[in-house]
Amino acid sequence: MKWYRIKAFIVSGVKTTFREKSAIFWIFIWPIILVLMTAYVFIPPSAGQPVTLDLGVVNNDHSKAPFNGTAFIDVLEKIEYNGTKLFNVKIYDNETKLVDDLRKGRLDAGIVIPDGFGENITYTQARLTIYVSGGSIYSIQVNRAVMSEFLHFFSINVGLKKIEMTMKYMNMSYVPANMTTQGPWGNKSFIEFLEEYFKGLVLPVNATIIEETPEALSYRPAIVGWYVLGALGMMMLYSGFLVGAVAVVEEKERGSLERILSTPASETDMLIGKTVAGLVVLTLSSIAIIVTGVFVAGAKITWNPFEITDWLVPLNLILIGLMTIGIGFILSLLSKTSRGASSIATTIGLLLAFTAGIWFPKEWMPGPMRFLADIFPVTWALDTIRDIIVYNIGFNEAIVGTIRNIVVTTLIFMAGIMAYKKVIRKYVEQ
Amino acid sequence: MEELLIVDGVWKKFGDKVVLKNVSLVVHSGEVVGLLGPNGAGKTTLLRIISGVLKPDQGRVSIKGFNPVDSKARALIGFCPQEPGLIADLTGFENMLFYARLQGLDGKSVIKRIKELLEVMGLTKDADRLVRKYSGGMKKKLGLATTLIHDPEILILDEPTTGMDPGVRREVWRIIEEERERGKGILIATHYMEEADALSDRVYIIDQGRIIASGSPEELKSKYAPSSVIIVEFYKQPRDLEGVLQKTGLKYIVDGDKVRIHSSDPDRDVPGIVALIHEEGGTIKTLHVAKPTLEDVFLKLTGRRIE
Repeated sequence: MKWYRIKAFIVSGVKTTFREKSAIFWIFIWPIILVLMTAYVFIPPSAGQPVTLDLGVVNNDHSKAPFNGTAFIDVLEKIEYNGTKLFNVKIYDNETKLVDDLRKGRLDAGIVIPDGFGENITYTQARLTIYVSGGSIYSIQVNRAVMSEFLHFFSINVGLKKIEMTMKYMNMSYVPANMTTQGPWGNKSFIEFLEEYFKGLVLPVNATIIEETPEALSYRPAIVGWYVLGALGMMMLYSGFLVGAVAVVEEKERGSLERILSTPASETDMLIGKTVAGLVVLTLSSIAIIVTGVFVAGAKITWNPFEITDWLVPLNLILIGLMTIGIGFILSLLSKTSRGASSIATTIGLLLAFTAGIWFPKEWMPGPMRFLADIFPVTWALDTIRDIIVYNIGFNEAIVGTIRNIVVTTLIFMAGIMAYKKVIRKYVEQ
Repeated sequence: MEELLIVDGVWKKFGDKVVLKNVSLVVHSGEVVGLLGPNGAGKTTLLRIISGVLKPDQGRVSIKGFNPVDSKARALIGFCPQEPGLIADLTGFENMLFYARLQGLDGKSVIKRIKELLEVMGLTKDADRLVRKYSGGMKKKLGLATTLIHDPEILILDEPTTGMDPGVRREVWRIIEEERERGKGILIATHYMEEADALSDRVYIIDQGRIIASGSPEELKSKYAPSSVIIVEFYKQPRDLEGVLQKTGLKYIVDGDKVRIHSSDPDRDVPGIVALIHEEGGTIKTLHVAKPTLEDVFLKLTGRRIE
């Protein structure tokens, strides 16, 4: 084994790849398109922000009460959630026009405030008519949820305000100042007890809802980061398969296989040279994908060279490259032409990318696909990378996965070498 | 002259088909040896065995005492298969560098050697063009140049001028003759009689996996070919050409519009042949008597012409 011989295969492999337009498309352009589409179409920059509904309002209320339809509209215009306005309010003269715009998709929801709303909300029970629109099941659910949540919140606050007013204006002289009640709540003055009792009528259960989604998937940069690694995994899958699948057959088609074998270069030199050339191309493509993901698509991918755990990332990337190239060598047994090998590699690569947890999270997969994702070693290695740079797991956890990946890669690549040698013998004896 | 290449009793079988049967040959330094035979005779298989790509089932191949699978033997040979094995997406220069590196060569001296060879082949101005833009003749010459990159002692060339126009073919012959003068041992497999005749110091004729004759072209012709060949070209062929030729009782080859008829006494045979052609309504354009070629030797030995 001599370095010059291996270098010959590396240089020629890299140069021919960069001079082939279709290879450039599949290895560089397609994954970058995927990353950009993900970042700006599927997960746009507005993703993760509270939604603002276009809300139409018809105010038929002519009440003289302090809180009436006009005051309610003022609340609708001002209310915010996490710094984002909840509604863009548009006032309508009548209900017909409002419904017409809802049907034309110009509004997400509508409210009709009836006459007497102000008196009713102050003294008895107010009524409202709510319309919810939506172009899809998803948007209907969102619009309905926003409206329900708002009205729930508003009703409770109105109720509490009414209790406060009731307690303020009640003639306390009817209740002896020293009158107390005794119960599971302890010994309280009757006035205190009455106020708590009224609150219980308005809000029998005062639940505290705490949002606690995993940090990695709770905001857009992390989600985009997850998909950037998916695009990288997809590219490595079909490109690595391709490198291995055509390694021998393309030399046979060029007529260079027997020339190479008649030189002092060995089959092993060719194997190493072609594998390293493949890894070089995959690495350059990975860098291009990550740079685009971080600097153009805004992905959160953190890598710290002073952190030993982070060095397991490039190691796992190399393992993915070796695994896919090894599987490509095995796939080369299935075809007699480079065109056939290329089709097999691309088809299987893309299929696995979409079904084995590379592009879509495996939690989304139906049972059989989830099983495939669970047993597919490339997904294991990619998940180890995601665990490190998206979920920030520790060294002890990451090294266990990495050791497993090293063992599996070794087995796959050895099987690939056997297939590679068999294919060479087959072509030489043709 | 030193024996550079020895093939001794080589047999090779693919499945049930025996493609080489007890083949033996020798190539010395400073000689061109032709391996002449029709397509499918076993020439390419023999060259693959000699170059270490295939292993023989029986027999021995020695390259200056080394087994062809030994990397020392491979460094001594330059093998150019029928398809020169060039990489279309590399330039001519890059292809040369690729094969130089496979031979374990690198550095400035290799660049100089590449430039020299490209000059010899007349490819200097095309050195930086992608090979996919080369003509067939340019590819053959570049293939030969890549074979010579490490200055091998033994050249093994499989059909080196197939598909070339006559001008390029003669250029390649000139390069091969120059290499012979430099003391190289050269083995050329070809089915071109003219090429074997013009270039070879000795010729091995192979048919159906077996060497059926060997010697210098002159020896073979004097031993196996007739003293003369009557070559007839027609304006109008006789109605039954095969019947006419069979009636002459002589061996013959039909080669397009021409017929080559073997004769040991043309003065005696020509009048009879002319009469038979006229009887069958044929009209002769030219008729002349020539010396025999290796094709006539092959015809004599096998009863067939080389295809």
